[in-house]
Amino acid sequence: MKHSDYYGYALFFLALVLLPSFLDSRWQAVATTFIIFTIVALSQDVVLGKSGMFNMGQALFFGLGAYTSAICNTKFGMPLLATVPLAIIIPALFGIILAGPIIHLRGDYLLVVTIGFNIVFVQALQNNLLGLTGGPNGIFGIDVLQIPGVDSASQSAVYYICLAALVMVLIVLKNLEKSKAGRALTYFREDPLAAESIGINTRVYKIFAFAFGAGIAGLAGTLYANQYSAVSPEAFDFVQSVLFFSIVIVGGSSVPGIVLGVFVMFVLPEIFRDFATWRYFIFGFAMIFTMILRPCGIWPATYGKVPAYILKGKQHGNK
Amino acid sequence: MATNDLVLENVTKRFGGLTAVDRLDMEVCQGQIYGLIGPNGAGKTTVFNCITGIHPCEEGRILWKGDDITELAPYRIAAKGIVRTFQTIRLFPQMSVAENIMSGRHVKSSQGWWHGIMHTPKSRRDERKNWLKVEEQLEFFQLHEFTVQPVQSLPYGLQRRVEIARAMAAEPSLLILDEPAAGLNDKETMALLELVFRIREMGVTILLIEHDMDLVMQLTEKLTVINFGKKIAEGTPAQIQQNKDVIEAYLGSDDDD
Amino acid sequence: MDIFFQQLVNGLTIGAMFALIALGYTMVYGVMKLINFAHGDMVAGSAFVGLTIYTHVMGEAASLPAVIAIFLLTAAVVAFFGILLERAAYRPLRSAPRLSAVVSALGASLIIQNGIMLVWGPQMRIFPELIPQLSWEFGGVIVSLIQFLIMGLSLLLMVALYLFIEKTRMGAAIRAASIDQDAARLMGINVDRIIAVIFIIGASLGAVGGLFIGLYYRGITFNMGWQYGLYAFVAAIMGGIGNIPGAMLGGILLGLFNAFIAGYVSSTWADAFTFILLIVILIVRPTGILGERVAEKV
Repeated sequence: MKHSDYYGYALFFLALVLLPSFLDSRWQAVATTFIIFTIVALSQDVVLGKSGMFNMGQALFFGLGAYTSAICNTKFGMPLLATVPLAIIIPALFGIILAGPIIHLRGDYLLVVTIGFNIVFVQALQNNLLGLTGGPNGIFGIDVLQIPGVDSASQSAVYYICLAALVMVLIVLKNLEKSKAGRALTYFREDPLAAESIGINTRVYKIFAFAFGAGIAGLAGTLYANQYSAVSPEAFDFVQSVLFFSIVIVGGSSVPGIVLGVFVMFVLPEIFRDFATWRYFIFGFAMIFTMILRPCGIWPATYGKVPAYILKGKQHGNK
Repeated sequence: MATNDLVLENVTKRFGGLTAVDRLDMEVCQGQIYGLIGPNGAGKTTVFNCITGIHPCEEGRILWKGDDITELAPYRIAAKGIVRTFQTIRLFPQMSVAENIMSGRHVKSSQGWWHGIMHTPKSRRDERKNWLKVEEQLEFFQLHEFTVQPVQSLPYGLQRRVEIARAMAAEPSLLILDEPAAGLNDKETMALLELVFRIREMGVTILLIEHDMDLVMQLTEKLTVINFGKKIAEGTPAQIQQNKDVIEAYLGSDDDD
Repeated sequence: MDIFFQQLVNGLTIGAMFALIALGYTMVYGVMKLINFAHGDMVAGSAFVGLTIYTHVMGEAASLPAVIAIFLLTAAVVAFFGILLERAAYRPLRSAPRLSAVVSALGASLIIQNGIMLVWGPQMRIFPELIPQLSWEFGGVIVSLIQFLIMGLSLLLMVALYLFIEKTRMGAAIRAASIDQDAARLMGINVDRIIAVIFIIGASLGAVGGLFIGLYYRGITFNMGWQYGLYAFVAAIMGGIGNIPGAMLGGILLGLFNAFIAGYVSSTWADAFTFILLIVILIVRPTGILGERVAEKV
C-alpha cells in the first residue's frame, strides 16, 4: 500500500475505535448497523465491483447467515459465537449451488435471476419453511453473542465486536487482492475472452466469487442477528439487495467509496429523520446525477498496485 | 509423438450456412516460424479460434504433442502451452502493464483458491516468484518505464508488445500471433521481426497470421495459404511467391507492401 | 374442471395486463439495451393519474365517453412523463457503461415511486368504479365485464402493435434499430425519434395496463409498481427480451402460470414458483422462449 493509504486506513480506524465514546446508545446502534452494512456492501463489491457480475440478490446471503444463526441459537440452543462458522459456510455453499447453473448467463439475465433467487428466499422465509423460519414475523429472542471473559451485552461491546469483524473482513479482502484468485476476478471482469485464453477457468472463479461474497455476507448476518436479537424476512428482501447494489456502483468499487455509499444510504437518513419522507426521492436524483457525472462511482477502484521490489525507481508511474 | 508439434487434420468449422474453414490440414513443427496467410475473410482467425478452443470445430481433429485438444476449453489449451494474441488487441484496459503481464502467470502459479482468503508462506513465495517473472518480461520487452501505467493509455505499438509479453509470461511452447504487425509503422515492424526471432531462439514455436508480405517473407519458414476457408497452397515463402493460385487469390486486394 | 377454466379466465386477464406492461420493457430494451426499471412505477403512476383525472377533470362521471377520455388523457400524461424520463435519466448516459444506466433507471424508479407517495400519500387509495360490476356465468365459470374489457382491449392493442411493427415503415425502423442501433443510424434512421416513439408507445400501453390494474384490483398503492413491474419484466425475459411477440407470449404464459399456482397450490407461494419457472427457462433456454442467440465476432 502507498503511504497515503496507510494514513487513510489508520485515521479511519482511529475514528471508528473512538466513536462510541462520543455517542449515546441510540447512535451507537446506528454506528453498529453502519459497520454491519459496510461488511455486506464489501461482500457485494467482490461479486459486482471486482468480478463484474450483475448480482442483485446479495441480501439473500445476508439473510441466510442471519437466519442460520437465529435458528441454530433459538431452535438448537447453540451459543451465537458457535454459529459463526455455520453462518459463513452455509451461505457460501448456497453461493456455489445457486451460481453453478446460472453463472454463464448474460449480464441482464443474471441480474433478474439473482432478484428471483432473493424473492424465492424471502417467500420461503415468510411461509415458515420446514417450520424453522418463523413466518412473516421472523424469529425473536436471539441470545447475545458471548465472548468469554468480556461483558459483551452492552451496545458498545456489540459495536466493537462488529468492528473487529470488519477488520478481519478487510484483511481477508486484502489477501484476495494480492492473490492469484483475486486477480483472476478482475481479469475476467475486464475481458472474459482474453482471461479464458490466458488460462483462467472463468466458470470456477465466478462461482468462487459468489461463494466468497456469500460467506462474508453471512458473517454480517450473524452480527445483524446479534444486534437486533431478531430476524425477519423484510430485512432481507430484494429491495435491500437493490440498495447494496447501488452503494457499490454509486460509491465506487473501493473501500472508501463503499464506506461513503453506506454512510449516505443508511446513516444520513438517521441524521435527517425529519426528512424521512423525502429521503428516497432525493436519493433517486443523487443516483442519477452521480451516474451522469461520475459513471465509475464517486471513489472508483485504482490499479497499478505492484510490489515495490519490481519498481526499481526507474519507472514514471501514472497516478 | 512427444515433440511440440501442432497437427490439424480435416478441420472444418461452419457458422450456420457459411463454411468458414473447409477440411484444413496443417502441421506446425517444433521450432518453426509458421505463417497462415490469405486474403481478408479467408478464415484465418477462425482457424486460430478453433485451435485455441474459442469456436470448437465441427469436424476434424487438432493434435498437440500427440494429444487431441479439439474439444478443450480455451483455459485448458493455455495450460497445455499454447497461448495467443488477438487481432484486435485484448488487454485488460484499466489495469497496469505489470498487472496485465501478471495474468500470464496464472497458469504457472501454484496457488489454490483458498489462498485468496489466507496466505501461507508457500503462497507468498509463489507471489514473489511470479512478480519477478513479470519483471523479467518487462525487461525483455523493454516495458519497464511503463510498469504501472494503465494499458489503455499506451500507444498502439506498445499495447501490442504488452500483449505479447503477457503471452510469453505464460511460458508457452507454441505462441500464436494474430496479425501482430497490424497498425505498426515500419520501425515498429522491424522491432517486431527481431522480437519474434529472439522468442524463437528461446525455443518457442511460432504460428502467425499476417498481411504484411515483406514481414511474412522475412520471418516465416513455411506457409499455408487459405482462401474461402480452403487450403490453396503450402510451402516455403519462396515457393508461395511463385504459386499461381496464390497470386490469383490476392489479385485486386489492397495488400501490397 | 371448474377451477381449471376459472383460473384460465383469471390467468388470461392477468396475463393480458402483464403483456401490456411487458411490451414497454421489451421495446425499450430492444433498442437501447436498457432495463427501464422505472417502467413499473410509471404503470403504478398511471392508476393514480387516472384516479385524479376521474375526480378532478371528469367530475366523477363514469359514462362511456368519460371512460374513453380518462384512458386517452392518462395515456397522454404518462407518455409525456415517459419522454421526460428518457431525456433526463437515459439520454445523458447513452455512451456510458451499462451499469450506469441501470443505476440511473433505479434512481428514476425511486423518484417516481416516492413522487407518487408525496403527491397521493402512502396509504392505499381506491380506484373508481368506472366499469359496472357486471358478470356472467358460463357453466360454472364466472367472467366479469371488466375481465372481458381487459382481455378484449389488450388483444386489440397487441394486434395493433404487431401490425405496426411488422407492416409500417416506422415499425421496420424500430426493428432495425433493435438489431443494430449504429447501423440504423448510418442508414439514415433518426434513432432519437425512434426512441421517443417507443417510449410513447411503451408508456401508453403501460398506462392502459395501470388503469386495468386499478379497475381489476381496485386498491392501488404507491409502491405497487415494483411488484407488477417485476412480474412484467420476468414475462419479457421469458419471452426473450427485446422480442415483441415474445413479451406478449411471456405475459400471457406468466399470467396463466400465476393463476394456476394460486388456484391449485397456494397463493403464498405464487411469487416463488414464478421465479423458479423463470430460472428454469433461462437455464434451459438462456435467451428466452422466442429469443435469438447473437454471435460475437472475435
